Amino acid sequence: MVKSSFINKIFNAGPLILLYYLCISEVDTNLEKMFEIFTLNFQIILIYFWVIKRPDIMANGHIFLAGLINDVVMGFPLGISSLSYLIIIFVGTYVRNKSVNTTIASDWFTFFMAMIFSNILFFSLLNNFSDLSFTYSKIGYNMFFTLFMFPIFWLLFNIYHITFIGNRDA
Amino acid sequence: MSVSRDDFSIAFRSALLQRGGAQKFSVLSLIFLALIIFFLDVYGVKFTKPVRSFLNDVVYRVTFLASTPTRFLPQVGKDISSFFNVKEENERLKLELEKYKSLELNVEFLTDENKNLQKILETEYFNKNLSNIVLAKVLVDKNSPFLKSIIINKGTRAGILKGMPVTKDNYLVGRVVETNYLSSRVLLLNDLNSRIPVTLNEGAQAILSGSGKNNPILEYLPEDYETIEDINVFASGKDGIFTSGTPIGITNIDGTVDLFIDPNQLSFVTVNLNVQNKGKL
Repeated sequence: MVKSSFINKIFNAGPLILLYYLCISEVDTNLEKMFEIFTLNFQIILIYFWVIKRPDIMANGHIFLAGLINDVVMGFPLGISSLSYLIIIFVGTYVRNKSVNTTIASDWFTFFMAMIFSNILFFSLLNNFSDLSFTYSKIGYNMFFTLFMFPIFWLLFNIYHITFIGNRDA
Repeated sequence: MSVSRDDFSIAFRSALLQRGGAQKFSVLSLIFLALIIFFLDVYGVKFTKPVRSFLNDVVYRVTFLASTPTRFLPQVGKDISSFFNVKEENERLKLELEKYKSLELNVEFLTDENKNLQKILETEYFNKNLSNIVLAKVLVDKNSPFLKSIIINKGTRAGILKGMPVTKDNYLVGRVVETNYLSSRVLLLNDLNSRIPVTLNEGAQAILSGSGKNNPILEYLPEDYETIEDINVFASGKDGIFTSGTPIGITNIDGTVDLFIDPNQLSFVTVNLNVQNKGKL
């Protein structure tokens, strides 16, 4: 019983560990080296899915901290990724409060809204308060592929959710 | 109508202020905290610089440790394949050694001749003083669509300053843009923010601008200049930071430059502390 409870805790912590690992390690989801335009913001897909499905296993404080770590590793001004992730949480929590039952299609649409708000904030802060320059085509590709890949990861996370965590709504 | 507005405001407020259970902090309080941290970092209040520098050093080390498995596995594959190619490689290296032995005599002669000619021209001889070169290991090489940079394991303690040129095998790879006590961030030549004054081996001057892709672009070339393939590109040293004559790459027909060093394959680099004009850094 004790052992199974420990294993459950590990499975519950899985998404959070993955988020921290993606932020702190060299592992990234920008596959520009292989496919020239393929870049993906995997972190926001991960955050949005778990905020919608099980907010109790993705605590706000941890997401905030993961954002700060991401800023340090990527060389962005401190706090900018945290703000972008918090916008994702905010939209996700709002959608969760307003809706009774969600489907992959409704989650996809609301994710699009969350990503738009989050990226507008991120790039307007980066543009106005830092020396970093970026091309709008890159932002476009990044947003397109993030949105395009959302249903695939939604299905994968859903399988993980049902198999390892249990389909109990928080 | 008023009911739906109430619903909206309740859901909105709840999303911002909700706490309890696993959520120890509300979204609103964390947004305020993130904004405070952001503006403190951006406007560089005195005490934030050393804090950020310390934080960078700690996180970069942890990142290096966390990335060890991802570096280790491809290396194992390489080691196994190189083990099976030892005999073949040995034969090849013997042939190369013979070739380089004959070239060495030639190089010695050319070096002496170069020194003598520089003395005649009374130009400054940029002695490649090895004590002014710092060898650094690449700690983190995280690919970002918006910033092409690497993090090295040497910082202000080793004498590295912001702006110093970074090379590998004497080929230019970028410049230092952020320094911490034990680590530094190097902006690579292919980053969108990178601008380097260069000279082509025919004498034409230009600016090498990063494009965010693997090949930077030559800009501000002389009027009517037609780019042809396989022209060597060197740092011109006009900014007083990069040593003039440091090789960078070769031109393509479309005005882009093939870098001699692949920016995605860096493991060790050297930082040249002997820059021509430290006042400009």
